[in-house]
Amino acid sequence: MSDLSVSTVPGQGAAPLARRARPARQPALRRARTLQRAAFRALPWLSPLAGLLLWQLAAECALVSEHILPAPGRVLATLGELSHSGELWSAARISLWRLTVGLLIGAPLGFLFGLLLGASPRAEDWLGPSFRAIAAVPALGWIPVLILLVGIDEVLKVIILIKACFVPVAIASRDAWRAVPARYAELGRVLGLSPLRQLWRIRLPAMVPTLFSGLRLASGQAFVSLVTCEMLAATDGLGYLMVWGRTLFQMDLVIVGMIAVGSAGIALDRLLRGGERALRARMGDDG
Amino acid sequence: MFRKFTVLSALAAALMSGAAAIAGGLPQEIRFGDVGFGFGKPFGVGLLAIADAKGFIAEEFKGTGVKLDWTYFTGTGPAINEAFANGQVDFASYGAVPNIVGAANGLDTVIVASTQGTNIFAVARTGSGIESLADLKGKRVALQKATIIHWAALEALRHAGLSEKDITLIDLKNADQLAAISAGSVDAVFGADFLLPLEQKGVAKVVFSSARDDREVSGFGGFLVSRQFRDAYPEATQKVVDGYVRAAAWLADPANREEAFRIWNRAGTPVDLIRRSNADTDFRQAYDPRLDAVFEQRFASALAFTRAQKLTRKTLDLAAWADGRFLAKSLEDEGLAAVWPDRPATGTN
Repeated sequence: MSDLSVSTVPGQGAAPLARRARPARQPALRRARTLQRAAFRALPWLSPLAGLLLWQLAAECALVSEHILPAPGRVLATLGELSHSGELWSAARISLWRLTVGLLIGAPLGFLFGLLLGASPRAEDWLGPSFRAIAAVPALGWIPVLILLVGIDEVLKVIILIKACFVPVAIASRDAWRAVPARYAELGRVLGLSPLRQLWRIRLPAMVPTLFSGLRLASGQAFVSLVTCEMLAATDGLGYLMVWGRTLFQMDLVIVGMIAVGSAGIALDRLLRGGERALRARMGDDG
Repeated sequence: MFRKFTVLSALAAALMSGAAAIAGGLPQEIRFGDVGFGFGKPFGVGLLAIADAKGFIAEEFKGTGVKLDWTYFTGTGPAINEAFANGQVDFASYGAVPNIVGAANGLDTVIVASTQGTNIFAVARTGSGIESLADLKGKRVALQKATIIHWAALEALRHAGLSEKDITLIDLKNADQLAAISAGSVDAVFGADFLLPLEQKGVAKVVFSSARDDREVSGFGGFLVSRQFRDAYPEATQKVVDGYVRAAAWLADPANREEAFRIWNRAGTPVDLIRRSNADTDFRQAYDPRLDAVFEQRFASALAFTRAQKLTRKTLDLAAWADGRFLAKSLEDEGLAAVWPDRPATGTN
């Protein structure tokens, strides 16, 4: 790792001369590298910090009424209160539970359906158009009909989430199947592997990157659908927390909800990236 | 920094109001907000809508060049509070619970008259066996929380010998309430006249009407002005209240009922439905604009409700919030005090 990254530092080519001079330059170089790395780490925080600064300024100069945009300190205090009283955690727990159920049911179904569409042109011809029509109607459009069909209970949210996860995963798994190079498939046949082993040893490992980006997309979309659904037809969860904040004319509550939703979204994305990396490593070893 | 800014803006406001006073003490424009219904161009279904449609307030400003602007908010209470915070309205009439929620969170408003009259209904699903409020024990009941209907429902249940703990309360918006009771997800709904079509469709039947069964729990609210406007333009405030009171007197006359129904029909509700929903309502009592003992008693009850339900973080002082001077002067100047004789604080009004 260290040898490779040396060559990427400007002015430190792989020239023999530079290599000989290495021991002397080492501390300065290391310092520069740590500095650079720290700067790189700080980059993602730059825009939120700038936003926070702007927010604080707007609050101090009373550019916007404090009832519309409360000061960051007020929001922080509310965040502390809600977290201390457990309200925030119970709302987050309910939302995440719904999301997990939706992902666990919707993603495998979408994966299987995508394989079917990818592997069989006939299935694509017959089912593809109706699938795309269903996919085009957003969660918001389904809610009025679904309320009449299944009522306002948990089933409603779970159905919305299953649909939200199913669609992107199905599209990703169909595309992933088609993107496997023909030579790979040939290799499997030449080696005389059974169809199941071909799928397990060759196709699936080749599909993992596309599949995971589909899954990440699915979890993101599902989260958005969930919050929308909770804002419209729920009595708990993070989305409801935000609507309730508006009803009570406590915008700090709404902003706390937004912060919670944003953080949960980042955490979810990180989790799935970690899962992808682990799976890729394993699949690589296996193959 | 902040203090400097407020001092500066107060100075500027003082200068501007001084200039306005020289120019006759009237603003160029007065903006009104009311709860609205309907698709496309929403309209109101209360007293302020009558004052708008019949031009009672416009007459007061005839020849002054003051422009009147009317907005009917379909987002109801929270939307009107936001409009007050943004400085988009000067006067507004809406339900007592959002009145209190807004003022308790720091909106600087003043109550200049009472707005009453909303008839509260409860409907129960056909075949649920619910015939009266007492039958709601152990049932699933939907309503929109933190509204005047929420207050009315809990009061009505209390009068029927039930408490909030005896029912499962589900917070739903109006459209979702209709869907939920049709789908059988809830057994009963508390709401306003938008529930009545359910009875025609045979989905549910009315088991409670506040005008018929318990007039004390009819919806009510305040006609509010921003304190800044009242202080800057007392003359204009007086004119607005004058027009408002004349509208209330017009509505109190039984001869004008049908015309009022036709005005409210602009919000999209069929005249027949409005007539049915108001069948048991006496408009003289229902739209009594006074800030009297009955008003105080009801607002005190709503204040206790918002505290008990943890809707507000602090308690309001009603005496400092309501300003009855304009109304008293209007009633005297217009010779309308006799329309609404004094009423006792307790019992039905």
